[in-house]
Amino acid sequence: MTTSTNGYKVGSNLERMIRSGEFVVTGELGPPQGHHAEEIREKAALLKGYVDAVNITDNQTAIVRMSSIAAGAIVVQEGLEPIIQMTCRDRNRLAIQSDLLGAAALGCQNLLCLSGDHQSFGNHPGAKNVHDIDSMQLVQMVKNLRDENIFECGDVIKEGGPRFLVGAAVNPFGDPFEWRPYRLAKKVAAGADFVQTQLIYDIPRFKEFMKRVVDMGLHEKVAILAGVGPLKSVGMAKYMRDKVPGMIVEDRYIDGMTDAITGIEPLPPLTKRRKALKAQLQELGEDDPARAEIEAELAELAPRIKEIQAERNKNWREKGIQMCIEQIQELREVEGVAGVHIMAIEWEAAVKPITEGAGLLPRPNVGSNGSG
Amino acid sequence: MEGDCHYLEGNLNARRRVEYVSKLLEEIGLEGQRVRMINMSSAMGAQFAQAATDMTATIKEIGPNPLREM
Amino acid sequence: MIVAEQKPLNEIKTMIADAERVLLVGCGTCVTVCFAGGTKEVDLLATSLRMSTKLDGNGKVVDEFTVQRQCEWEYNEPLKEKLDDYDLVVSLGCGVGVQTLNEQFPQKQFVPGLNTAFMGLPTEQGVWEERCAACGNCILDKTGGICPIARCAKQLLNGPCGGSQNGVCEIESDVPCAWQLIWERANDLGQIDRLMELQPAKDWRTSRDGGPRKIVREDLRLVAHEEE
Repeated sequence: MTTSTNGYKVGSNLERMIRSGEFVVTGELGPPQGHHAEEIREKAALLKGYVDAVNITDNQTAIVRMSSIAAGAIVVQEGLEPIIQMTCRDRNRLAIQSDLLGAAALGCQNLLCLSGDHQSFGNHPGAKNVHDIDSMQLVQMVKNLRDENIFECGDVIKEGGPRFLVGAAVNPFGDPFEWRPYRLAKKVAAGADFVQTQLIYDIPRFKEFMKRVVDMGLHEKVAILAGVGPLKSVGMAKYMRDKVPGMIVEDRYIDGMTDAITGIEPLPPLTKRRKALKAQLQELGEDDPARAEIEAELAELAPRIKEIQAERNKNWREKGIQMCIEQIQELREVEGVAGVHIMAIEWEAAVKPITEGAGLLPRPNVGSNGSG
Repeated sequence: MEGDCHYLEGNLNARRRVEYVSKLLEEIGLEGQRVRMINMSSAMGAQFAQAATDMTATIKEIGPNPLREM
Repeated sequence: MIVAEQKPLNEIKTMIADAERVLLVGCGTCVTVCFAGGTKEVDLLATSLRMSTKLDGNGKVVDEFTVQRQCEWEYNEPLKEKLDDYDLVVSLGCGVGVQTLNEQFPQKQFVPGLNTAFMGLPTEQGVWEERCAACGNCILDKTGGICPIARCAKQLLNGPCGGSQNGVCEIESDVPCAWQLIWERANDLGQIDRLMELQPAKDWRTSRDGGPRKIVREDLRLVAHEEE
């Protein structure tokens, strides 16, 4: 195995993009809750050409999904570059290192080191969590595999260690707020080459965070990719604001989504009516003559509801994409931001219009990976 | 009256303990209504009589403690 | 101290279903202080079991006894002569107590009346909180006296995860974020710099992961043991 990478640590497309100084774009692909490769290929096709590399999530929100490494290998086959996500929740240091050897053998070159959402949020809340090492220690371990050719225990890897560009997550909105830049500094010291932030729906606060980061000179040591994502509905915006720990959502996003559907006939009265009618039907006997009238009203309601839903979704999605484009344009002006990480959760098709709208297409060609 | 005890919050503590005993009785297999806490001042004769009548009625309805007959 | 709570009455009733004569054994140490298995709780449970089994139509003899400390052989000696009178013994000690009794008196079966929960302290009357996970290698000097292994849901050693907000852990709104507490304490102590040091991967051998743990103090052992 060669370790010659022409001055690059790894030589992945992501690393070349970062080094070139171009504005970097990464995306996200969630593996299916099943075993069909086709779903991954379809999602990859929606992202290829619009991002420089794509995160493959690892049992995200603690819900069992196809292995991020297996899905990443399929993405490699599709000609897209994966960033394998690896959490500390499900594996100890043995399993992590063994999986990383496998990931490298399958052509994966970028890794994102995470603590992992707590299992109480997922579909196996009774599971035992591992947390043998934390995300900071994982960063250091992966760096040492690459730069020192040693396993975590210190044993030398005779043929040379697996080479990954090391990524980490940053949440500028978590508390204690004053600690967040220092925590980033710690991740940089541990060996992070790039970081991706939590979804940013509070740009003023993010700017405050970045000012401290720039004052500390961290942006020169690590590529900071600002996390963005298109909102799909008012409900989603409110959910993120109220229910997702460590997330701040400014009112302007909620208002923007609310305004997007003004003028459309309000849906709640119709759905309430439908619910009431259905309840009435349940109480009536099978051959009650009153059924006919209720069923007729229900039949009339259904297409109306469907039509309004479709109209709302269309407006919301357009607005979501538009606001996301504006976010990117604003973030691009923030000193120290090297690129964006677009998280279009279960909506990969949004990445093309977003990157197009933000003037990020075509993606620059920074030369193929010569080390493979 | 509740929360207005000569011994400060003593009657609030007592309420939680009575609730615990009531739950324990249910767990054992007896009726939780066999114990009840009612707040009253010494000047509330009529209410006291009413509460005693109510409690007697409740117990009569539930019937005697089955453990006594065994 | 060790903090425990009593099992539901029905679960205990199921355990003693086949026994006619049952002895409840309390413990006068930790579980007395946390109101789970002392003389008073033994009395209450025995009364409940007598009443409840009688109502079910199979009234059992349920007697009571409390020793000072179930986790030491000497304190359990007075039990020896009583055991023959019973079919089954319910221990209201912690998990250590139950096992000590089974080991010490193998002719009798001892079942648990409590769920042993954690090592902690009462933060107010009626409220107990976990403080120590017995990892076997204390780092409280580095974390302002607050343990991230016992008190962080992810046992992080290098600072808070992204889910810490307003001082609260992401898993539950009434769980304080251990790292927020550590940060504040380090601020007060002027020891923020200690938090900036990268803590290496922990050696978990001293924790449960290394297998059941044992401490041998040769200076305290008696000569008789050496000749074994």
